[in-house]
Amino acid sequence: MNYACKEASKLASDSLDRRLSLRERLKLKIHMLMCGKCKNSNKTMELIRNTAALISQSRSGEIRLTDEQRESLRKALEEKRDNE
Amino acid sequence: MSKAGDPKDWLNDHGDYLYRFAMSRVHNEDLASDMLQDTLLAAWKGHENFKGQSSVRTWLVGILKHKIIDHIRAEIRARNLAEAVEHDPTSAFFDSDGRWNEAPRAWKENPEDLCNSEEFHTVLETCIKTLPEKQQLVFRMRDLIGEDTETVCKACDITSTHLHVLLHRARLALRKCLECEWFERGHKP
Repeated sequence: MNYACKEASKLASDSLDRRLSLRERLKLKIHMLMCGKCKNSNKTMELIRNTAALISQSRSGEIRLTDEQRESLRKALEEKRDNE
Repeated sequence: MSKAGDPKDWLNDHGDYLYRFAMSRVHNEDLASDMLQDTLLAAWKGHENFKGQSSVRTWLVGILKHKIIDHIRAEIRARNLAEAVEHDPTSAFFDSDGRWNEAPRAWKENPEDLCNSEEFHTVLETCIKTLPEKQQLVFRMRDLIGEDTETVCKACDITSTHLHVLLHRARLALRKCLECEWFERGHKP
């Protein structure tokens, strides 16, 4: 399994973005069963991604238009409507 | 009136949502507000074409998405953000046989605890900023915002194969950086 850690880490990362082929899935699974290092790396990549998603959600919840922005948007829309 | 309703209501009903959507992607109040304005004006111009197959919000988000993708494309062109595919930074993590140079550690943390730690936010942001710009961009779009891969590829003008390569590089480098900045500073599980 010499070449395998590098390749396995690429497959593990890919699996977060695309559906792996059956062959790739098997390869990854077998490698993960035997290799604690890759298992750690894979778990951490998933942890980082899940945490990043949570952080981004929690941050965006506080974002609102300011009254000023809202007012200027309202004006822009009205102008446009009056011109038609 | 068309199926899209009164444009006046769009701002009230969807303004904050659309603004938040834009802000999470462009991180700039003025720019996000401009995009929102462009979106509402474009929607007003084309509202006769709205057939009501989707909700008004989905329709507006669709318009906004195009504006954001155009913006990101222009940004990438203007700053000429390129990353050579030939040089493979992931080789630094492995020996010539493809084995780990340094064993990755096991993390015991969970996303909720890390998310609640202001300090971790700072460390994560610092680590993201150490990545090459194009990796930062795709990582933010994909892992922070959760954009689908098709949208990221379109915005960045890259193939999905290239995207997967960039994401793998970004994730490996981030894991390493976080291990150094987080664990080795005493945040042991």
